[in-house]
Amino acid sequence: MKARLFRSRRAYMSLAVRNMQNALAYRLTYIMGFIANFIVLIAMYALWSTIYEGRDELAGMTWMQMKTYLLVAFICNAAITFYSETRISGKILDGSVSIDLLKPLDFQKARFAETLGSTVIEGGLTAVIVIIVLLFTSGFLKPDFAHAVLFILSLGASLFVKFGIVYLAGLLCFWTTGAVGIVWARMAVTSLFSGSLVPLAFFPGWLEKLSLAMPFQGIVHTPAAIYMQQLTMTEALGAFAAQCAWAVALWYAGKLVWSRAVRQITIHGG
Amino acid sequence: MSFIEIRQLKKQFRQAVKSPGLAGAVKHLFSQQYVDKLAVAGIDLDIEEGETVAYVGPNGAGKSTTIKMLTGILVPTSGTVRVGGIDPFKNRMDNARTIGAVFGQRTQLWWDIPVSETFSLLKDIYEIPEDRYRRNLDQFIELLGMEDFLHLTARKLSLGQRMRADLAAALLHNPRTVYLDEPTIGLDIAVKQRIREFIKRSNKENGTTIMLTTHDLGDIEDLCNRLVIIDRGSLIYDGTLEAVKNRFARERVIHCQLQHADIPALHDTFDRMPGVAVESLDAACVSLRFDRFKATASEVISAVMLHGEVADFRIDEPGIEHVIKQVYERQLDLEDGHALAAAGTEAAGA
Repeated sequence: MKARLFRSRRAYMSLAVRNMQNALAYRLTYIMGFIANFIVLIAMYALWSTIYEGRDELAGMTWMQMKTYLLVAFICNAAITFYSETRISGKILDGSVSIDLLKPLDFQKARFAETLGSTVIEGGLTAVIVIIVLLFTSGFLKPDFAHAVLFILSLGASLFVKFGIVYLAGLLCFWTTGAVGIVWARMAVTSLFSGSLVPLAFFPGWLEKLSLAMPFQGIVHTPAAIYMQQLTMTEALGAFAAQCAWAVALWYAGKLVWSRAVRQITIHGG
Repeated sequence: MSFIEIRQLKKQFRQAVKSPGLAGAVKHLFSQQYVDKLAVAGIDLDIEEGETVAYVGPNGAGKSTTIKMLTGILVPTSGTVRVGGIDPFKNRMDNARTIGAVFGQRTQLWWDIPVSETFSLLKDIYEIPEDRYRRNLDQFIELLGMEDFLHLTARKLSLGQRMRADLAAALLHNPRTVYLDEPTIGLDIAVKQRIREFIKRSNKENGTTIMLTTHDLGDIEDLCNRLVIIDRGSLIYDGTLEAVKNRFARERVIHCQLQHADIPALHDTFDRMPGVAVESLDAACVSLRFDRFKATASEVISAVMLHGEVADFRIDEPGIEHVIKQVYERQLDLEDGHALAAAGTEAAGA
């Protein structure tokens, strides 16, 4: 039994590795994606620096905190690219999900392995570069050691949460005939409630409370708050635990939706 | 209990009905109308281990839908499917370990990595032991002639190469059952031959059960000892290809090149001969259609020779395609022999 578990884990590992190769084959797409994200970062930086002109702080955040926040949000967003996201819905829409079903692999785990594989290449590099910039240049906040460790862990949990949301949105394509609408809606909702557009602290009280009650905050808000030490160690641990709980809940929600969705399959061409 | 057991299998699809034009599209926004289409309308089928079954029928007959239920991709609307005692949909992963499949229209190769990498990924997915993997791969590379393109990514392969690689990928783990959905579609004759040889060999050496859908009658003649015909969701024939041929390919056409023929006498002779009809007749050539159960070829030739010299002759058998087409078109009476009740007619479109 133990051997069997080990071996099948190897199948998913192997899948992840092949997807890293795939991501490298698409390095131009990856570079373009990186550049696009980077331009957004610069635009946000310019926008916020204008807003901060002549002010010391806004919604309790100083300009230095804001700059740091923008960079941390940039890392979190690099995790799952548009390409990874459309891969899941694309499989469902073009019917190649039928090929996946021929394999003795769990669909969700296999997709997660693939996403992880390409994330290591696509997002990993971005994250490493930016973390180095954050830690070794001045003008940005630096966390203490404990918070730094927790931040890295929280970044990992953020990937799980984001995958859970992306996967669920992808499964909706079993009931629709297009993915673009779903992907855009998913991105709009995520960037609003995760804090990647505007820090949650800038929201009116009720909206901030609402956001904190939803899973999206785990993608950007939680890791950012930990990095910037806006939370005490106890609070940070609590936030991390909430993130993990959301990751697990979303994983099981994905399983549940899949078991219903798979009955919907109608593959075109008889 | 048979190895593959299908009982009263049905699959119903829901299709949206849209009225024509913009008005129809707008109307569809507010009130959706659907029709249920019965793609598979209650099939019973038993297949024993090691059989090679051709599963044929016109486009849209329900062939692929049946295969997809056998492979666990689609859930049946009603009825049961068991493959080696397993329900393929409920225990998809267990079933998937023991099957291989090629869907001619769709590749299972990873698009952006070399073919050889796809094979090694499959080794991990199916947990194929190293020695068996080596042995199979070496053999497959040789039999299918794959040395030239192993290092290429799947997107760079030609159709023939892709199909060979797909077939190898489907059989690498020595599956007990192989489903081939139009495996030779669009291929040239040399590649077809190679693929057929490969499939035959796998059946013979490993006792692999093979179920094949095709529109290529060469595939059926070459590979399959059993023929199952489906039309509009129901089985209409289950038996050997030979039996279909014997029963339904009764008509032959004999063409004779003539010298010094007495045309009126020939006309007269064959108008009176039972089971023979004149297709064409002139001074140089006569073509006669005859029922081989009512008249033999030698009787026909002898009769021709009474009224002219036969310089050369040739006999045409109807192609199996012609026979099967007649079965599809219900022009042939399938009541007796191996034929099944023609119950499919009212089931379609219900």
